[in-house]
Amino acid sequence: MIEVIGTKAIAGVGNAGRFGRFVWQTIVASARSCVTTRTYPLIWTQMNLIGVRSVPIIMITGAFVGMILAVQAYDQLASMGLEERLGVLINISVVKELGPVLAAVMLAGRVGGALTAELGTMNVTEQIDAVRSMGTDPIRYLVAPRVVACLLLTPALIIYADLLGILGGYFVGVIQFGINSWAYRSYSAAGVELWDVVVGVIKGFFFGAAIAVISCYKGFTCKEGAQGVGQACTDAFVASFISILAMDYALAVIFKAIYNTFWPIRSLV
Amino acid sequence: MMAYRRERKVKKGGKRSGTSVSDRDGIIALKDLTKKFGNNVVLDNISLTIEKGKTTVVIGPSGCGKTVLIKHLIVLLRPSSGEVYFKKRRIDNLDEHELNKVRTRYGFLFQAGALFDSLSVAENITFPIRQHYKIKDWSEVEELVKTKLAMVGLDGFQNFYPANLSGGQRKRVALARAIALNPEVVLYDEPTTGLDPIRADVINELILKLQRELGVTSVAVTHDMTSAYKIADRIIMLHHGKIIADGNAEHIRNHPHPVVQQFINGQVNEDDLAVLRASGTIFQAQFLPRDFEE
Repeated sequence: MIEVIGTKAIAGVGNAGRFGRFVWQTIVASARSCVTTRTYPLIWTQMNLIGVRSVPIIMITGAFVGMILAVQAYDQLASMGLEERLGVLINISVVKELGPVLAAVMLAGRVGGALTAELGTMNVTEQIDAVRSMGTDPIRYLVAPRVVACLLLTPALIIYADLLGILGGYFVGVIQFGINSWAYRSYSAAGVELWDVVVGVIKGFFFGAAIAVISCYKGFTCKEGAQGVGQACTDAFVASFISILAMDYALAVIFKAIYNTFWPIRSLV
Repeated sequence: MMAYRRERKVKKGGKRSGTSVSDRDGIIALKDLTKKFGNNVVLDNISLTIEKGKTTVVIGPSGCGKTVLIKHLIVLLRPSSGEVYFKKRRIDNLDEHELNKVRTRYGFLFQAGALFDSLSVAENITFPIRQHYKIKDWSEVEELVKTKLAMVGLDGFQNFYPANLSGGQRKRVALARAIALNPEVVLYDEPTTGLDPIRADVINELILKLQRELGVTSVAVTHDMTSAYKIADRIIMLHHGKIIADGNAEHIRNHPHPVVQQFINGQVNEDDLAVLRASGTIFQAQFLPRDFEE
């Protein structure tokens, strides 16, 4: 019993140490990539694969989030005669929480899975060893461009998700439920501040970095064979998902504290 | 002219005859090297010197640690204990940044080629060049790719992708990539495994050609004895993580160790035969789906 616990504890500390070292090497390599023009084509390629090709799925996710919120919240607000404030509820929820989190979860599935599968396959077919054998740092060549691309484009994708979420809520509220368009827009504009949008976008940097680093690490350390790659993809998604939620909580607490320090609490109704 | 077109002086040497390793002109040396994976000792206190300009072949049964040994020569794996030297400089304790400089002096042919799927043949071959040199004249690089591919008999395949190549073609492209930086040492991991005898012989001829024309030091791990006898100046046999035979082809052919003789002649030993006999007949092991039906 004690032996099993001890073995697992040692393995856990070892894994944490390896992950910490990987993160540090990734930070250093990513910082160097940003100032090395030779790596720009690699970053550009990854931006296309990670960012541009994710736009449709992110926009669809955002739109449905806004539409579902409108459908779910309308009856409650209407029963209190507050249906014109539906936009405030939807837009605050979308830009601060649901837009960033759901966009990040979609990216963890679409991009994170692809990164882990690609690097995992490269690992088991010795392509990563081949990169090393030719005197190239695989973290600089393979990980840094993916991390930089994810870091820069996740906030941009979150803005897309926010935009479509707001439009989705607007169309359901105004067209389906017949809320006065001018009232919907004016209450929304009054209720949502630049701070709310900025908070959501800043979260995107953290989520993007976490998705890329976790997915690349799982790919680099995956076990042999098809089962090993499949397991690594699953592990990467689960770890990314939990990290997104944990970071979302931590960032919510931090941003709330910052906001409360400078501004008094505001009522949305 | 680009720096990677450096000429190498060809140094010829005679055949060795199973003498001590310490008195040779070694380019790579392993000293008391041990590698463990968990409690499994894969390499057990191995000391070895690789002669410059010669072809050393490491033979041994599958799973005996040949690939682990060759990966230590370029420090793709770090030893559990012991030391690795390249040109008398200890390299197993270098950080990855320093090691990368050393690794540019090596070429490595991986067992399955390890070509990058997402890159074309030409891009695979230029990969190490692009990583280490600022290319000003791409036409010169194209010419270099053409030369390297012609050397392995694949000129014209520049725009193919690895998925469109046969196993033998992939190995030859991988060899062209391995020699892209004009390495001093080329390491071959099972260079002929999975190839038909004719393609395997093409690879053997390429290895000999590299040694003759560029004077590179070669280390190959294989269990293909035809290949080993053809390319080796020196053959080393690994068994249970230790070197049990070391000498030229003639020395190995006449080696008294029974494991060496069983391996080079491809004979199953009495213990394995006893297990096969004890496990019953093939007929007893066969079954039909109805055997499991009620």
